[in-house]
Amino acid sequence: MSATGIGAAVRRKEDQRFITGKGHYTDDVNRPGQCCAYFLRSPHAHARIKAVDCATAAKMPGVLAVLTGAELAGDKIGNLICGWMITSKDGTQMKMAPHPALAHGKANHVGDAVAVIVAETLAQAKDAAEKVSVDYEPLPAVTDPGKAQTEGAPQIHEIAARNTIYQWHLGDQKAAEAAFKAAHHVTRLDFINNRLAPNAIEPRAAIGEYDAGTDGLTLWNTTQNPHVARLVISAFVGIAPEHKLRVIAPDVGGGFGSKIFIYPEEVVCLWAARRIGRPVKWVSDRSEAFLTDAHGRDHVTHAEMAFDADSKVTGLRVKTIANLGAYMSTFSSSVPTYLYGTLLSGQYDIPAIYCEVDAVYTNTVPVDAYRGAGRPEATFVVERLIEVGAREMGMDPADLRKKNFIKTFPHQTPVIMNYDAGDYHASLKKALEIADYSGFGKRKRESARHDKLRGLGISTYIEACGIAPSQAVGSLGCGVGLWESAEVRVNPTGSVEVLTGCHQHGQGHETTFAQVVAERLGIPIDNVSIVHGDTDKVQFGMGTYGSRSGAVGISAIVKALDKIEIKAKKVAAHLM
Amino acid sequence: MSAVALTVNGKAVTGDVDPRTLLVQYLREHLRLTGTHVGCDTSQCGACVVHVDGKAVKACTVFVWQLEGANVTTIEGLAEPSGPLHPMQEAFREHHGLQCGYCTPGMIMTAVDMVNRKGNELDDPTIRHELEGNLCRCTGYHNIVKAIAAGAKAMGKGQVQPTT
Repeated sequence: MSATGIGAAVRRKEDQRFITGKGHYTDDVNRPGQCCAYFLRSPHAHARIKAVDCATAAKMPGVLAVLTGAELAGDKIGNLICGWMITSKDGTQMKMAPHPALAHGKANHVGDAVAVIVAETLAQAKDAAEKVSVDYEPLPAVTDPGKAQTEGAPQIHEIAARNTIYQWHLGDQKAAEAAFKAAHHVTRLDFINNRLAPNAIEPRAAIGEYDAGTDGLTLWNTTQNPHVARLVISAFVGIAPEHKLRVIAPDVGGGFGSKIFIYPEEVVCLWAARRIGRPVKWVSDRSEAFLTDAHGRDHVTHAEMAFDADSKVTGLRVKTIANLGAYMSTFSSSVPTYLYGTLLSGQYDIPAIYCEVDAVYTNTVPVDAYRGAGRPEATFVVERLIEVGAREMGMDPADLRKKNFIKTFPHQTPVIMNYDAGDYHASLKKALEIADYSGFGKRKRESARHDKLRGLGISTYIEACGIAPSQAVGSLGCGVGLWESAEVRVNPTGSVEVLTGCHQHGQGHETTFAQVVAERLGIPIDNVSIVHGDTDKVQFGMGTYGSRSGAVGISAIVKALDKIEIKAKKVAAHLM
Repeated sequence: MSAVALTVNGKAVTGDVDPRTLLVQYLREHLRLTGTHVGCDTSQCGACVVHVDGKAVKACTVFVWQLEGANVTTIEGLAEPSGPLHPMQEAFREHHGLQCGYCTPGMIMTAVDMVNRKGNELDDPTIRHELEGNLCRCTGYHNIVKAIAAGAKAMGKGQVQPTT
C-alpha cells in the first residue's frame, strides 16, 4: 500500500471546499441575465383544470412570462417517461400514462405543477403567482393503494383500468401451492411498508440556459446522473437533440435516489429559457420538496410462509400492492419488481417462492427508488415472517434462522438470484456474541424491575447493489444499460485526470477514485483529478446510485488504467 | 426598499433591499457569499447558521434590515483570509464529519458557538443536545459529534488531535 493508495487513511480532497463554504451547489451558480421561476401547484389531489387565467399575473412588476400546460403542448414538448418496461402476467405492457411537465386538463396530486411564473426576482414571481387564477373542478381522489383497484374508485388515467399499471409475478405458483398444501405450520401477515420522503438536505434546483448563437441548451441540475438526464430530456421530452444539450451536475448535496429521476422542473426551466431568451433558475423550497421529490416504498402486502414439522421453510407467497403515485417516475416500475421480488429468498434456503405485485396509480406524489429501493421492502417481509413464525412455533428466532440459512454455495434461489458465496451462520454467530444474546434475558428482567421494557431484534438480509450487467437488466425490460465508463488522461507534465461517468453527492469519489489511480500509477493522490458531472467533459455515464460506483465505476477506471499501462510501457521502452 | 448597513466578515456593507430580504438571501444573492445554505423553510435544518454579534443565529429567520450596525460572521469569515483553517474546520476534515457538505457550514458555525458558550470539554450528550437545531441527511451524526468534541478541545489548545 502506498502512502495515499488503496487502504491508506487519507483525508478527503473535496472537504477543503465544503468546510470553507466554497462548494458550488446548483443554487450557488448564477448565470448572467438570470431570472427566477416559481411553480404554481395544485392544492387538490385530483381535479379537472377548467381554465388558468394568467392575464393579471402577466402584467405584474418584473414578470417575464406565465406559462401553462397549454403552451407546453403548443410547443410540442414531449412527456416525461418511465424507462423500465414491465410486462404483466397476461403479456400486456405496463400502462404508462402521459406525464407532461405542466399538468394539462387535470391535476393528479397535491403539488402537481399547473403553471410556472418567471420573473426578475423570486419575490416578484411569488407575488404574481398569487394572482394566477385557476378554475379547478375537484374530483374524488384515491390515495390508499389498497383501495385504488376497488370497484368505483376514481379512475385517474384513461389508460389504466382500475388504476392498475401492471400485474407482475415471479417464481413458481404451483410449487408454492404444493408447499402450502403440505405445510405443518403457516405464518400469515398483513402489513404496510409506509411511504417515505427522501429529503436530501440540499433541495432540488435547476437552471436552464439557451444560447441562440449555437442553438444549444445547458442545464445545471441537482442530478445524480447528468448523462441520463441528457438522454431522457433529448430522446423523450424532445427539447433538444442530445448533441445540443449539455447537463452539468455541480456539487450536489445528497441524493439517496431522489435526484436520479428526471423531473418536470428541469424540463420547464430549459423550455422557458429558450422561450424567454434568458437563463431561468428554479430552486425547490422544503415544503415543495415534500410534494414533488419522488417518495419511497408505499407497499401493502399480504405474505405467508410455510414450514414443515421440522420448522424448515418450505414455501413463501407474497402479494404486494405497490403505490407508484400519480405518474410513473423514471425507474419506478423496476423497484417493486426486479429490485424486490428477487430478494425474497433472503439468506434462507426456500424451495418454493411465488410473488405477485400489482402496481397502482393513486392521487399521491410519484414513488420511485429511494435508499435501498425494493431491497428493504423485501427484507422487511422475509424477516417479519421469520420473527413471527418463530414465536408462533415456540422457537427462538435466532435458532429458526440458523435452521434455515443456506449452507452450500453457489446457491440458486427460486427468484432469479444466484448467490456465489456466503457464510450466514458465521455472521449471525458473531452478531449474537457481540450483542451478548445469551445474557439478554437477564438484562430484560433487570429492566423490568425498573419498570422499563427491553427488546432485542434480529434482521439478516441480502443486499443487491451495483444493480446488474446490462445484458441481464436489458432482458428484464430496462431501457438503458447499467455499464459505466472511464477515461484516464496522463498530462504532458505528469498529472492525471480521470473522467468518470459516476457522480458524487457525498460518496467521496474525488478521493477514493484518486487512491485507486495513485496506487496503480505510483503517484500521490494530489496529482490525480477526478472529473465528473458535466456531459461536455465526460464521455458517457450512468451516474451514481445503488452502490454501483465502486463496483462498476472503479472497474471501468481499472480497465482504463490497464490501457495506460500498455501505452506507458511502449513509451518507456522507446525512451530507454 | 429598505436601507441596510452592517459588517460582514469584517467588511462594512450597505445596500437598498426589498424589506422581505432575509439575511441568508442578502448574504447569498447580494454579497455572493454562498457558503451559507438554505435547506428548509421552517428554520429547523440549521444549514443557514451564521454568527451575529458573536452568537449563532439562523440567517433564514431574520430580515437583513433588522441587523443595522450588526457584526456578521459567515463560514467564509471563520478563518483568517490567508491563514490556516479554524480548528473546528480542521476537526471536521480530520474526523470525516461530512459527506455531501451541504449541512457542514451550519454545523461548523453552530459548533463554534457551542464551544463559546459551553467550553472546550464537550461530552456526547451535550453535543447531541446542542445539535438539535442542525440536521444532516448523510452522516448519521456520529462523526459530526466526534469532530465537534475534537474541535472543541483544539480550540482550547490551538491544534486538532488526529484520529487514532
